[in-house]
Amino acid sequence: MLIVTMLASSSLASGQRTALDLAGRAVNPLTAHSGKVVVLVFLRRDCPVSSRYAPVIQQVSARYADRANFWLVYPDKTESPQVIRKYLTEYGYHLPALRDPEHVLVKLGRVQITPEVAVFDRNHQLAYDGRIDDWYLELSRARPAPTTHELEDAIRATLAGKPVVKSEIRGVGCYISDLE
Amino acid sequence: MLHFGPGISPWPRSVAGTVTLLAVVSAVGRISARPTPPQTSSVPVPLVTYNRDISPIIFHSCSICHRPGEAAPFSLLTYSDVKKHARQIVDLTQSRVMPPWLPDPQELRFADDLRLPDAQIDLIRRWVEQGAVEGDPADSPPQPKFVEGWRLGEPDLVLTAEKPLILLPQGTDTYWNFIFRVPIKETRWVKAVEIRPGDKRYVHHANILVDRAGASRKREAQPGAGFGGMEIRIESEVFDPDSHLLFWKPGTIPYVEPEGMALRLDKGTDLILNTHLQPFGKPEVIQPSIGLYFTPHAATKVPILLQLENDLKLDIPPGQKDFLVSDDFTMPVDVDLMAIYPHAHYLGKDLQAFATLPNGGKQTLIHIPQWNLNWQAVYRYAEPVRLPKGTTVSLRYVYNNSGENPLNPNRPPARVVGGNRSSDEMCHLWLQVLPVNFDPTQGDPRMALQEALARHNVEKNPGDFEAHYNLAAMLQAKDNLDEAIREYELTVRLRPKDAAANNALGAAWVAAGHPERAVKYLQAAQKARQDYFEAYYNLGIALAQQNDFEEASQQFRLALRLQPDDANVEANLGAALAEIGRFAEARLHLERALQIDPNQSLAKENLEALQGDVSAH
Repeated sequence: MLIVTMLASSSLASGQRTALDLAGRAVNPLTAHSGKVVVLVFLRRDCPVSSRYAPVIQQVSARYADRANFWLVYPDKTESPQVIRKYLTEYGYHLPALRDPEHVLVKLGRVQITPEVAVFDRNHQLAYDGRIDDWYLELSRARPAPTTHELEDAIRATLAGKPVVKSEIRGVGCYISDLE
Repeated sequence: MLHFGPGISPWPRSVAGTVTLLAVVSAVGRISARPTPPQTSSVPVPLVTYNRDISPIIFHSCSICHRPGEAAPFSLLTYSDVKKHARQIVDLTQSRVMPPWLPDPQELRFADDLRLPDAQIDLIRRWVEQGAVEGDPADSPPQPKFVEGWRLGEPDLVLTAEKPLILLPQGTDTYWNFIFRVPIKETRWVKAVEIRPGDKRYVHHANILVDRAGASRKREAQPGAGFGGMEIRIESEVFDPDSHLLFWKPGTIPYVEPEGMALRLDKGTDLILNTHLQPFGKPEVIQPSIGLYFTPHAATKVPILLQLENDLKLDIPPGQKDFLVSDDFTMPVDVDLMAIYPHAHYLGKDLQAFATLPNGGKQTLIHIPQWNLNWQAVYRYAEPVRLPKGTTVSLRYVYNNSGENPLNPNRPPARVVGGNRSSDEMCHLWLQVLPVNFDPTQGDPRMALQEALARHNVEKNPGDFEAHYNLAAMLQAKDNLDEAIREYELTVRLRPKDAAANNALGAAWVAAGHPERAVKYLQAAQKARQDYFEAYYNLGIALAQQNDFEEASQQFRLALRLQPDDANVEANLGAALAEIGRFAEARLHLERALQIDPNQSLAKENLEALQGDVSAH
């Protein structure tokens, strides 16, 4: 008992704050594969807007699969790998998922809401953070279809080495800060 | 939503008719925990805590839906549940998106009003600003207790949709209708209906319509499959306005009809569940069920649903931001208004209804300043609202067909007219009213209401086919055949190829004793709809009345091909065959009629007469 406690605190003391994959291994999604644009998609399992975006996220990630690495990031520390796996199966996701209990990636991506995305260029510089598109106006009001596509615009600009025109537009959904 | 529509007109079984509708029940449930009033002490303002100040509000206004198995996407039952959505709750309560309640506050109160008082919204904001503190568990009211499963206990009869609908993970809103065939052998009275729409997270709302004529079954690709469509119309052949609004939205607790106001269900009645479903990222199997609770007591008070509408005025140019549509109907009798149900689609912006009393006083009945189809609901008044004879009920709906309306289904905006599709627009207001202070010897006051409404609609839109049709049916039901025929003639002039209108006009001429004038209309009805059972049956009657029994029997045979187990047609066919001396065949058909319905009196009489004839020979 005592030993476990000491190990735990020593691990904290070492200051090793990192995102974890579902097997509990530390992962840095920015450096995991080099030379590609990286897109972090922040989701909460209990956020209805996050869930409704599942097909959109998969379609966009498939479109840029050869040029951009997509990661799903779950910032709720109470969500276990098991429940996240179940969620991925239910929603038909084939993207790698990370837990971000310490909000390391949240801070890096400057995101505030789920669902929001952070797009990093090949040099790991943050190029865009914010909403996927303008589908939702507020939590219970969505357009018939989105009329702007900020995530895809950001990916295309970043791939072309151009600055992203609108580099930050907040999303509609659930606050990540409510998880602190 | 519901609809009035042309009915079928079989003669002589019953009169052609208007009608339809559905049914009521709404109500968002309440639980007993009451919020603590905000603290107003002068000495140091105590910290707002979850347990003392916030949990009563949550338990009262949120947990009914925010709990496992209910419609809301996450639970709000404990401190940690609420803490995980604290800022979100501040935003959504301040914008009044949650709890979902569209009407502005008004003098006439609604039952189950979900609107949060300003003081509670402010308290939630202060709680979060002060750090969302939990406080002393001893301060918290007990957790609310909810009834699991059927809310009113085990129903007397549970019906489950035969085939589930597979809702795709992505796409626009889906509108699907499930047909429940009610397996009862005799008339039953229903005091409550509980709708369990399937996984509640995907169902925005659901309405039950009562189909007494089996008209909806024809729309299923296979029996039990259900059918798509946002707005459905149910035809009815008699004056039998269903008077109940059976409505489900998230949080609804089944409504038990007041004493004496049970819903009648006859053998062969179908209940149609009209659902609005929203895809939410993963495929979902939707298989609703409904529970019926019977009462031995027949209805003694029968309310009626009145529809104010003006769909024909809906022709909204693109870019128009404030397109106003109105309708004003004056009550011909005293009524009590029980419930109100406004309905528009995605261009609806500001929906209002008010009453102008005979003394000139005005009363807001409902005002929804920002319409949202996703949260449409039936609103029941806390107390019935007396509307004396001469009261005018007015609807004023404003539509926004500009690009500034983010819900506009067209980009860029396009001309939008009235219609049933979700990209069309609608202007409907249902009123559930109970006639009061009437003299029962002067006839059914509901008839007076229906007739006044039908006349109003004809005056409002002289080119409105359905208005003329419904007025004609009303008049025919009152045995005012001359005027009914004039109205049916107008419907045929408006739509010369309409099967129902031609059949109804033909049937009315038969009823008026002019079968020779009926023939061409009944033939036109058959031409317009080749499987129109009633048109064959009615033509058979018209020909038989002109002593053309040979041709009449042909028509009855054609009718039987469409509806093989119809005792009435068998009896008439038997009678026609007997008239032309084909006694053996006649006997077979008369006996067949009695097999189907042992009480078929025409068959009984004719069979006896036939036996008499035969023995006399």
